[in-house]
Amino acid sequence: MLSNIFTLGFLVSLLASTIRLATPILVPALGQIFTQKAGILNLGVEGTMTIGAVSGFSVAYLTGNLWIGILGGIIFGMLWSLLMACLSITMKANQVIAGIGLNILGAGVAVYAYRVIFGIQKLPPQVETFSIINIPLLSDIPIIGPIFFQHNILVYLGFLLVPITWFVLEKTTFGLKIKAVGEHPRAADSKGISVAKIRYSAVLIGGAYAGAAGAFMTIAYLNQFTEAIIGGRGYIAISVVIFSRFIPKRSMLGALLFGFASALQMRLQALGINIANQLLLMLPYIMTVLALILASKKSEIPSAYTIPYSRLER
Amino acid sequence: MKTKLLNSGKKAAGAVAMIALALIIGAVLVLISGNKPMEAYATIISGAFGSKLRLSELFIKMIPLTIMALGISIAYKAQLWNIGADGQFTMGAIASAAIGIYVELPPFLIVPLSILSAILAGGLWAGLAGWLKTKFNANEVITTLMLNYIATYFLAFLVYGPMMDPQGELAQSEVLKESLRIPLLFSNYRIHAGIVIMILIILLMFFFWKTPLGYKTDLIGQGEKVSTYAGINVKRTIIITMMISGAFAGLAGWNETYGVQYRLLEGISSGYGDIAVVIALLGELNPLGIVISSFFFSILMVGGSCMQRMTNVPYSIVDVIKGLIIIFVIARTAFRNTAIKYTMKEWIGRRKNYAK
Repeated sequence: MLSNIFTLGFLVSLLASTIRLATPILVPALGQIFTQKAGILNLGVEGTMTIGAVSGFSVAYLTGNLWIGILGGIIFGMLWSLLMACLSITMKANQVIAGIGLNILGAGVAVYAYRVIFGIQKLPPQVETFSIINIPLLSDIPIIGPIFFQHNILVYLGFLLVPITWFVLEKTTFGLKIKAVGEHPRAADSKGISVAKIRYSAVLIGGAYAGAAGAFMTIAYLNQFTEAIIGGRGYIAISVVIFSRFIPKRSMLGALLFGFASALQMRLQALGINIANQLLLMLPYIMTVLALILASKKSEIPSAYTIPYSRLER
Repeated sequence: MKTKLLNSGKKAAGAVAMIALALIIGAVLVLISGNKPMEAYATIISGAFGSKLRLSELFIKMIPLTIMALGISIAYKAQLWNIGADGQFTMGAIASAAIGIYVELPPFLIVPLSILSAILAGGLWAGLAGWLKTKFNANEVITTLMLNYIATYFLAFLVYGPMMDPQGELAQSEVLKESLRIPLLFSNYRIHAGIVIMILIILLMFFFWKTPLGYKTDLIGQGEKVSTYAGINVKRTIIITMMISGAFAGLAGWNETYGVQYRLLEGISSGYGDIAVVIALLGELNPLGIVISSFFFSILMVGGSCMQRMTNVPYSIVDVIKGLIIIFVIARTAFRNTAIKYTMKEWIGRRKNYAK
């Protein structure tokens, strides 16, 4: 039985699906780097992704265009995260509770909306998913090709977001402002930066990324909507952000680690091999706790993390 | 005393108003989905109270939710955002089940031992997050969340592996001996004597806030400076508070294992942790408030699944109502706190600046 695992074919398909499974974790994690760098811990990513999943699917189904579907996921993801922004920035509510609340509400609203739009059907409605794009020449390379260069377009775009996110955060004034309001909102305020405006945009960017990732799940991965479609990926994305200590490049590693663990588990299950894969799935979470310990020591966490900003409080 | 009564009256009225608002929005959603709101709500009520069997199911749900929410309220009073009740529940279930299955002792020893192990397991699991917070300044929200997942996979590992029932194919442990189970209250219904434990804990909670430890916990919540001035060992109190909070969830895990499931199985915590957070907050972290809101949420859950079976109304309506209630609670707390006052002042201040 073990000989089944150590074949080249198994390894190639394992690594290819690692990359595919990492995408819907990587994208929301990159979005949360914006949000968390600005000092907001949005635990509601899971709910935002579920909303993105149902709206992306519905829009794609009704318009027949997958790209408009993705756009729908992004727009509704942003609208949903606007709730979080409003609660945590304007109302200065506790971010943890607001996030949990929006997750519960998001799950309810998504399933309800799906039911109202599609009714009860014998077979679940489906959409044609994005087709695989073989990158010319590169995809023909043995082993490397099937692993890296035979995916649908969204996977490529998802990984392209890594340098884009890095660039925006590190090389633009907007990125600087985000870091400033997360690190020292009072100083930022005195420099004339609107803390609320920057934080709102950081939360909305996070919502856009999460909404896109939700839509990825329904129209580029499963091609249908189910209640449990996000399956904790929103929470995983949050742990990836912590694991990566808010650095986009490292968050790619984190997402790949989580992706690898779940890909291996799925592949082994498909082969009917029952080794202790639960312990394997546990590993990324343990590493996240360890990363958190390291991050705390090096004070890489934004100083104003989870703390609302008010001009009148000191 | 009078103002205190008036205050709690006001709080209760606020909670009722929020529930009413959530139910009205829920009714509109039922209407949009092409169903009759009154019929839906009537089914929820009859699904929760319609028969002795339904009532028994209602209280079975209420026991773990109440115990966990009370535990959560202790941590939240200290401003420790423990969202890991599910994991602590799971560890309690695992530890107590292991004692019940593997330890060969007479039942009168096993039962207290299993309770103790559940309390310890849940307490240590939460205490770990507390220790990481005091030692490494690790955010307890993230650590308790991670510990949830670790506990979940640990449970899955056990029920698919070493603890799997040798007689069965399912992901569950072997069944507990009858002599170990929490006795049933009535022969034909699932409601068990765990309800007595719940009532005892509720009563104890009223006293807890009067004890030195309860007082310290409350002070920690007022801010680190306040408690340091009061001469409290903040770090130790944080760890102890987390441990007590987790011990409650662990006990609830024992209750579910020994009173309802009679074995360990995958997903035994069934997401009670999140609901318990909502219950604790709706109940204003006050024991009586928690009992009432836990009762209310049990009605919603038990009645809601009945509604889903009997009518065309989807269960997601119940989730929407739950979610709306928590959002309203947050919004109301924010309004009541200084937030809005500050915003007003800020706004006025800005106007003045412009005037200059």
